[in-house]
Amino acid sequence: MTDKLKRYAILSIVSLALASCDTSTVDPVDPTDPNQVDGLKVISSNITSNTTWYSDTIYQLGSRVSVTSGVTLIIEAGTVIKGEAGSGSNATALVISRGAKIMARGTVSAPIVFTSVADELSPENIASGNFASPNLEPTVNGLWGGLIILGNAKISASNTTGDVSEVQIEGIPTSDSNGLYGGTDDMDNSGEIKYVSIRHGGANIGSGNEINGLTMGGVGSGTLIQNVEVVANQDDGFECFGGTVNLNNIVSWNVGDDGFDTDQSWAGTLDNFIIISPDGHCFELDGPEGNYKASHTIKNGHVIANGDNQSGDLINIDDNSRVSLQDIYFMDVLPGQQINRVTASDVSYSGIVLDVDTVDKYVNGTVPAGITAGQTPKADINVFSWTWAQSAGVIK
Amino acid sequence: MRALCLFILFSTSLHHLNAQNGMISGTVIDRETGETIIGATVQCQTCNSNTATDLDGNFTLSAKAGDHTVEVSYFSYKTLRLSNVKVSLDEVHLTGKLYLIGEDNLKLDEVIIYAEVSKNTETALLTLKKKSTQIIDGISASKISQIGDGTAVEAAKRITGVSIEGGKYIYIRGLGDRYSKTTLNGMDIPGLDPDKNTIQMDIFPTDLISNIVVSKSFLANEPADFTGGLLNVETKAFPDKKLFKLSMSSSYNPSMNLNSEFISYSGGSTDFLGFDDGTRRLPDLARSNNIPTPISGASEAQVNSFVKSFNPNLGTIKQLSLLDLGVGISIGDQWQWKKRTNSNGEIPKLGYIFSMSYKSSYNYYDDVFYGEYQRYRNADSLNLRYANKQQGALGEHNVLLGTLAGIAYKTNHSKIRVTLMHLQNGISRAGNFNIDNNGEAVGQSGYIAASDNLEYNQRSLTNLLINGNFVKPEKNIKIDWRIAPTLSLSNDPDIRKTAFTFEGDTAFSAGAGGNPSRIWRSLQEVNIPSRLDIIKKLTFFNEPSKLKYGLSNTFKERSYEILFFDMQFFGSQNWESADPQKILNLDQIYPNSPNRIYYQSGNNSPNPNKYRSNSNTAATYVSSEFELNIRLKGIVGIRAEHFIQRHTGRDQAFASGDINGKNLQNEIVLHALDFFPSVNFIYSLNENQNLRFSGTRTIARPSFKELSFAQIADPITNRIFNGSFFNYTAWSGNLVETYVNNFDFRWEKYLKRGQLFSISGFFKDFSNPIEMVRIAEQQTSTEFQPRNVGKGKMIGAEIEWNASLNSISNYFENIFFNGNITLINSSLKMSAVEYNSRKDYERAGETIKETRQMAGQSPFVINSGLSYYGANNKSNFGIYYNVKGPTLNIVGLGLFPDIYTMPFHSLNASLSSPFGEKKRNEIKIRVSNLLNDDALHTFKSFQANDEVFSKYLPGFSISIGLTFNL
Repeated sequence: MTDKLKRYAILSIVSLALASCDTSTVDPVDPTDPNQVDGLKVISSNITSNTTWYSDTIYQLGSRVSVTSGVTLIIEAGTVIKGEAGSGSNATALVISRGAKIMARGTVSAPIVFTSVADELSPENIASGNFASPNLEPTVNGLWGGLIILGNAKISASNTTGDVSEVQIEGIPTSDSNGLYGGTDDMDNSGEIKYVSIRHGGANIGSGNEINGLTMGGVGSGTLIQNVEVVANQDDGFECFGGTVNLNNIVSWNVGDDGFDTDQSWAGTLDNFIIISPDGHCFELDGPEGNYKASHTIKNGHVIANGDNQSGDLINIDDNSRVSLQDIYFMDVLPGQQINRVTASDVSYSGIVLDVDTVDKYVNGTVPAGITAGQTPKADINVFSWTWAQSAGVIK
Repeated sequence: MRALCLFILFSTSLHHLNAQNGMISGTVIDRETGETIIGATVQCQTCNSNTATDLDGNFTLSAKAGDHTVEVSYFSYKTLRLSNVKVSLDEVHLTGKLYLIGEDNLKLDEVIIYAEVSKNTETALLTLKKKSTQIIDGISASKISQIGDGTAVEAAKRITGVSIEGGKYIYIRGLGDRYSKTTLNGMDIPGLDPDKNTIQMDIFPTDLISNIVVSKSFLANEPADFTGGLLNVETKAFPDKKLFKLSMSSSYNPSMNLNSEFISYSGGSTDFLGFDDGTRRLPDLARSNNIPTPISGASEAQVNSFVKSFNPNLGTIKQLSLLDLGVGISIGDQWQWKKRTNSNGEIPKLGYIFSMSYKSSYNYYDDVFYGEYQRYRNADSLNLRYANKQQGALGEHNVLLGTLAGIAYKTNHSKIRVTLMHLQNGISRAGNFNIDNNGEAVGQSGYIAASDNLEYNQRSLTNLLINGNFVKPEKNIKIDWRIAPTLSLSNDPDIRKTAFTFEGDTAFSAGAGGNPSRIWRSLQEVNIPSRLDIIKKLTFFNEPSKLKYGLSNTFKERSYEILFFDMQFFGSQNWESADPQKILNLDQIYPNSPNRIYYQSGNNSPNPNKYRSNSNTAATYVSSEFELNIRLKGIVGIRAEHFIQRHTGRDQAFASGDINGKNLQNEIVLHALDFFPSVNFIYSLNENQNLRFSGTRTIARPSFKELSFAQIADPITNRIFNGSFFNYTAWSGNLVETYVNNFDFRWEKYLKRGQLFSISGFFKDFSNPIEMVRIAEQQTSTEFQPRNVGKGKMIGAEIEWNASLNSISNYFENIFFNGNITLINSSLKMSAVEYNSRKDYERAGETIKETRQMAGQSPFVINSGLSYYGANNKSNFGIYYNVKGPTLNIVGLGLFPDIYTMPFHSLNASLSSPFGEKKRNEIKIRVSNLLNDDALHTFKSFQANDEVFSKYLPGFSISIGLTFNL
């Protein structure tokens, strides 16, 4: 990283000379900031005061950057954020800590993209309507970390201090206290995430401990998360650790682990989504870990189980999982893949359709009435027109 | 005139150069104090020879074969006359009668000495023990040799109250290595293992050892940082006579040796010498801040050649394990340096010792198990739930090369010695494991994986001791100075872990078994201890007394670094089979499809896993040893230690560019001036019975690693140690030293022929004890941290005996039953955080108390043995049993149960027998772990079945050793 810093420091001196005669620049270039050159800004420290990221600049994450409590980060539509390379404690990520807010309001025509420094995608590409990576395949993962949002809503965690549960989020080393999440405010508001594509991330911290594309820990229902795509993340696409946030119009494509993962009694709804060829399970839905118990709803989904990767279970349920699964269509299912459990008492199935001859072999146990064989798409895929997945033609 | 007696340890031998002339040599010891006497006159009229004892109390006379009478006299002591001192032509062993003549017609003690020259130290040690004002125990080279122990660690187990952890580390009175200290020749040596406070004892071959002494009560002239015991290993300095010994041994364990299933991996050509030849070297470019990757701006060829610069072997191989093998040579001699004869006619002596030993041993565990277990949230579910199970086979090849060379120059009043020691140790380790991760457990994602683990640990220790001492008899002053710099290195080059995850397909999954990784760890530590001790004899209330004064300074510096590299795939993966050996085939390396392998750096710059620490302890003490009357002796002293520890390191936040992160630049992390009083009394009830008391204050300081930001993962189990600087809700991040107040009582009775019986009681209280605590906030990986926890107390009792079975029947007179039992009750008052966290997970029917057992403290230790010592070069036989009670190892919190070290019932037997023309050679047979017990750590929770944290089956082994005295 320091090499890069030096490089940008030199560039910045050169560019300062240029910038001084370019009065038309709207972007407020801080002349004392060696990390900023025209069109590129390296972010290596936590964000501790209200900040706006503009679409004419590429923001390069030089480390694990946390937006600290009380601070709002605004990201303009069409902005590109790139994480530097690294794994282990060296992984880069953007963390919205408890009490902080992110306002990432992309649009259908100008989404916000989080990707790797290796990606040649530029704000100009986005402005011209080309949202796909010009040089990276949609299978390249682990190049940087991911986007982590942490809030104060209830979680069902195993350790309780008084009446507050808080734990360290997966993917952040235990030693970083900005990684704590969980609380008592179910209405908590961590901001807005709209029309955001997160790509090529998921650098691992250690075995079994890595960064999801979009990690949500204790995120409250005041937060708006809709129209989000995760492509080629080395770990899960989306993972909710407790909290109450609702998710709408979600794409999870080519992730290295589970397509969609829930833990610690997430109490929200996932509505209208596509999961395409995750390398782990399509769904990994866990139950509460603490005394607090709540359930979530997953509905109106479209799952393409195999493609670039071969997935494991269609749905992986624990005995204590609490979830209502409604109207999900699974296609490209391979023999041996299963819904691993139908005996969990707090899990219900309705309108689950598998594109297979008969469902017996694809369900472990007595097939519930809500699971049938057939070819009935359930999701509204028209809303995904802006995504890379759509432009790559993998949504079918 | 006081009635003092002389007690002589003596021996005779034939001088090899002149078969008609033998030697009578011995040590003159004050019977009251157990100390050597300098300048005593030794006369042998029958051999026309006389001399004076030197500063070690030693003398040597030349004598022809036959019976001689020796007289020893010294001012204010009664003359001692020894008759029937036999010097014979064909035997080294000799039976002599030693008459002790005291004033007031003290009864004559008849002491029969069965020892040969090199075997006289056990008696000396016993005398030292009996007469020392301090509570000590020990084992000499002779006992080690009799038992047939191969390393110091085995030998140390024979010492009262000593037990062994992990086959390497010393526990004294059941107290863990944190409260025990090991010194070499009275000087600090660094621990080679960054995880431990004390040095591992398995690296000292017994051929190099003169004796091992354990002090259980603190004296002001000793370093104050021990509580359970101070174990000093004294290396050999100077032989009494020409020594040329060859030894060899071999050992067989049916499950470990000559096993074609033994797991190994392709290493370097010098592995057999205990170091790596460069096979595991870190590629040059790997230290660069911007290593070549597909996204670093490097060309395809640069990435490709960088990946190829790593050793391509990632898999284990099956290879026949050989027999364990040990060979050793010890030579030494001394000469009289006539050219340097001084004006008094005194002839200086010059001596040397050289010893070299080589050991190669194999461990193979075909059923190793590591488990991670959790409690259920529901209080009615008492049994534990597994989070992760890892089961497989582990092979280890251990090579130890030890060299010791020393020269010494000695006159009657001064001595100087220089000893250089080098130990080289290499352990190559390979394992195959199946991993079963339970997705239903808290924080776990659930997967099945199979891993190949390759490790190499290379350790070395180079120690130079320069020691001088001299006496000024006219001023009654004895001065000893020493300096002993040590360089120790411990490197783990290229630890490789490769785990395929089976989840639908066979691939590497970062979210499951992880991507293949490689780690380089290096530790370098320099210690420079020095000390000066002055003893002056005085008269105090008409009784002899001693005043001791000393200065010492110990400087230590350690640097440590971990470098981590993670394999990545530029795109999706496609593997035909889970064969780790094929992963780095040329056609898999970037830019070759399908797997396009490259390495990503896990190292920040600056590296949060790199630190440099130093500490300096400057100490001074004064103590007085005095006799209040003929029965009551005391040593009262005080020691002042000025300690300062500095640290250079940073946390991950700073390392990843956060200016608000923590960064220490040689900043003081521990600093104190402390005073440590020591009060010891010995009351002699009669000639053979003593009562002892001691009250002392001591300290246990956190180690370099504990006062750091280091995060060190065990590559096999993925369990992670965290330095104490990280703070949590339950932990401030400020680790401080532990102060301990110690009180010891002992009654002891000495009987003939080395028999003894003693009962001790002790009490200790601990402020801020440091224990390893599970970090509750981290649920995905298993992480621990050293923390100060509450207040601790312990109370204990110890019984020791060494009894001849003579009382049963004369037939059994050479059979001894020895052993010791230590019972300890420790209790720690928990912090509120710990109590609440336990309360939160209180099981149905359970009542959480505010106190618990202290971590690292065994509730009992039993060492016991039955031995037969044949007189006059006959065989010795012994059977020994050792066990330590279940010991809290890692403090669990909430979800995570406590982890205990379970008792290992160790039963070993040995037989040694002389052979050869003059019975100068010896054969030893030893069988180990006759009960075939397993080494087990378990999770314990209220009314739950114990679940395994780690399990090894060391198996039964038999070894045969031959020693030739040439």
